[in-house]
Amino acid sequence: MTGEMIAFFLLALTAITGGVLLINLTNVVHMVVALIFTFIAIAGIYITLSAEFVAVVQVLIYSGAITIIMLFGIMLTRHQEKEKRAPRLKIILTGLAIGLFFLIMYGKIKDLNFGQQDVELHVDNTKKIGIELYSHYVIPFELTSVLLLVALIGSIILAKRADDEKEAKK
Amino acid sequence: MSAVPLTAYLMLALILFCIGLFGALTKRNAVIVLISIELMLNAVNINLVAFAKYSINPGLTGQIFSLFTITVAAAEAAVGLAILIALYRNRQTVNVDEMDTMKR
Amino acid sequence: MLQMSWLIPLFPLLSFILLLLFRKSKSESTAWIGVLLTGVSLVMSVGVFLAVWQGEGIKTEGTWFQIGERAITMGFEVNPLNALMLVIVSLVSFLVHLYSKGYMHGDERFPVFFAYLGLFSFAMLGLVLSPNLLQLYMFWELVGLGSFLLIGFYYFKPEAKAAAKKAFVMTRIGDVGLFIGMVLLFWQVGSFEYDEIFTSVKNGDISSGMLTLTALCIFVGAVGKSGQLPLHTWLPDAMEGPTPVSALIHAATMVAAGVYLVAAMYPLFQASEAALTVVAVVGGLTAIFAASIGLMQKDIKRVLAYSTVSQLGYMMLALGASGYVAGIFHLTTHAFFKALLFLAAGSVIHAVHTQNIEEMGGLWKKLRVTGPLFLIGALAISGVPLLSGFFSKDEILASTYADGKYGLFWLAVIAAFMTAFYMFRLFFLVFTGEARGEEHEQKGVHESPGVMTFPMIVLGVLAVVAGYLNTTWFGTFLSDYLAQGPVDLPHGDHHGPAWIPLLATLAAALGIGLAYLIYQKGTLSRDWITRSLPSLAEVIYNKWYIDEGYDQTVVKGTRALSKLGVLFDRYVVDGLVTAVTNGVQGLSKIGSRLQNGQVQSYGTAAIFGIVILLLIVALTGGYFS
Repeated sequence: MTGEMIAFFLLALTAITGGVLLINLTNVVHMVVALIFTFIAIAGIYITLSAEFVAVVQVLIYSGAITIIMLFGIMLTRHQEKEKRAPRLKIILTGLAIGLFFLIMYGKIKDLNFGQQDVELHVDNTKKIGIELYSHYVIPFELTSVLLLVALIGSIILAKRADDEKEAKK
Repeated sequence: MSAVPLTAYLMLALILFCIGLFGALTKRNAVIVLISIELMLNAVNINLVAFAKYSINPGLTGQIFSLFTITVAAAEAAVGLAILIALYRNRQTVNVDEMDTMKR
Repeated sequence: MLQMSWLIPLFPLLSFILLLLFRKSKSESTAWIGVLLTGVSLVMSVGVFLAVWQGEGIKTEGTWFQIGERAITMGFEVNPLNALMLVIVSLVSFLVHLYSKGYMHGDERFPVFFAYLGLFSFAMLGLVLSPNLLQLYMFWELVGLGSFLLIGFYYFKPEAKAAAKKAFVMTRIGDVGLFIGMVLLFWQVGSFEYDEIFTSVKNGDISSGMLTLTALCIFVGAVGKSGQLPLHTWLPDAMEGPTPVSALIHAATMVAAGVYLVAAMYPLFQASEAALTVVAVVGGLTAIFAASIGLMQKDIKRVLAYSTVSQLGYMMLALGASGYVAGIFHLTTHAFFKALLFLAAGSVIHAVHTQNIEEMGGLWKKLRVTGPLFLIGALAISGVPLLSGFFSKDEILASTYADGKYGLFWLAVIAAFMTAFYMFRLFFLVFTGEARGEEHEQKGVHESPGVMTFPMIVLGVLAVVAGYLNTTWFGTFLSDYLAQGPVDLPHGDHHGPAWIPLLATLAAALGIGLAYLIYQKGTLSRDWITRSLPSLAEVIYNKWYIDEGYDQTVVKGTRALSKLGVLFDRYVVDGLVTAVTNGVQGLSKIGSRLQNGQVQSYGTAAIFGIVILLLIVALTGGYFS
């Protein structure tokens, strides 16, 4: 068993554990914290897949930004201390559907192998991504920036306008 | 050559995706539902990055795609949370099962 | 004249429609609409008859619709037989319309009654004019409808309702037979046309077995309509209808339709010896059987009803014994004297307000017109010489004898004796002796008004003179006339040995004499026969238990079957239906519970959909594999 294998298994185990904890924990804050482990583990997985830049972005955005936003969301809204479970029937039905989905997909991917891998991906990974982004993918990249701007303005307006209306009513 | 086969990554992605889906469909707290959706997106990202390495035409495309996905996911998280807070102001709840205006 | 003959049935139809429009009217002058329009029909019919007498005839047809190569036609035909029927029907219809004007006086639904009469007359005239079996069948059913409506005219009386239903159901049995026969003929010949059917019969295109079968099926239709033996029970019950109706429908016209049908299809019957024999045997048995029941009935109209059945049996016997002319002749004379008898009975009922002959008596002096007319009718039907019934009955007996059916011949003679006996039993009980009714009823007894006596007088004259249409003495006008028709008359005219008229006269005289002795003189006690043969009398009094027999077998059987059907319906069919509705309801309950407005439930449903699609792809081997 190579070191890569061991690393993969540890990371995968962490990621899945985080996911399972998300499902099973009852405290909302704990759930979010459990998911931080998953996100970090996924960043590690990216490194084993020779995608260092994506891994760093993953840590920055998911483990950092999104998790913090979610924690803010939790704190800004009032919650019951303990999260109530959904009705049993609903859990069983959803579990059944997802289980079937899992089995089918498992059957399809278990023998999937294209037999080729690029060993040069990790060499100057960030540089190459930067060049690609500003040459070949420049238009989607700019569009993304517009999307982010729209999202920014949109969320500010969404969160704020209700406030104005309330004040107007008062 | 990497010792870990493609299938292992795909399996991991599948498991995470299923967990995320389950959470999104059963959790009552809207914040957790949003987080579960983020988890599903992550699972998809793992697939993209894995295929960037192991496929008939390996290359950077998969990684760049995952970058875009992460960006869009971040935007989605921000807007989702804004909606959530607006909703909370109006209805004093973040429980998904109390949001049934579609019924009326 | 002949080209216009298709208009004849339309006048009564017009009367029907007009009277329906006036059905709320309280005015009794609405009757004149019916009288006038049927009068026009009568005049036209007489014109047509006279034209046919000169040897003319007409047949006009147009294609109604086409099935493949076979054209179904509609049209009208005038030949000697149906010209004669036209006159009989329109004449009796006209007289009955007139008579009803008086008889139905004061009835609440006065115009409706005349509307129904118009409908019936339309149907009957249409039936007679039909040139093909299909058209005949339509009018045949319409006639049944008219009969049903008129029997049930007093629908508030339960007996009338039951009788109407019974008449409808019983005749329907016959109609099914007719229908099957018709379809068989169409299958064999490819046409409903009389002419084409007769041509292929003549050419031997139909096998003899099939010929007999079709003839018998058609005869079943005639049996149903004409009240022959197994299906006769509706006719006496039909007497619940108003008396003019009984005269028109259940004595003169509709019940004669069966005889007319056999006569119209006569070449078909002629081609099958077996069918003719069956017709003769059924007719003969009906004649004596109904006559025997008539001996003991107490209701004046029922006696006449059984007498009608019996006389219809005579006609069938004549047709079955190759006495085509005799059958038609008797049909004609019977139409007159039986309509007369019924109208006279109606007049009696009108006067005394009861139908039970035990409660009548001594009416001769009070009903100075009705009495003699009734006597004429009774003499005519009994076969007393010089009246119409004598000639026609004589002809029937002669043709039966000539055909070699000696058993049936003697049956017919006995039936003639019985006829004379029960008719005069009726006459003596009603018109002579002491009045037996209740006191206060007696004072109101008075002769009927002119509108009622006039038709009776006309019929009375006809009942006397109609016999001279066909006699050995003056000339056989009727058979010469009928010989112009499409039917090849079997033996020409057969006037049997000279002792036959004598025998018939003797039978009639015996019957009258016996009735005189028992009911007038009292020489013989009234229960003389009843006492000597109690069991037989019992059986006859109860109409041979035919109704009871049907009740025990057919009605009970049908009831049991329907009960089974009800159970089947309730538990199997309803069960299935309930299962289906419950299933759908359950499903929709689940469906509506899914529509709870929660995104997660919708998401779950969507996942299920995706899973099912994936499953199909995975199992059938889609893009992945």
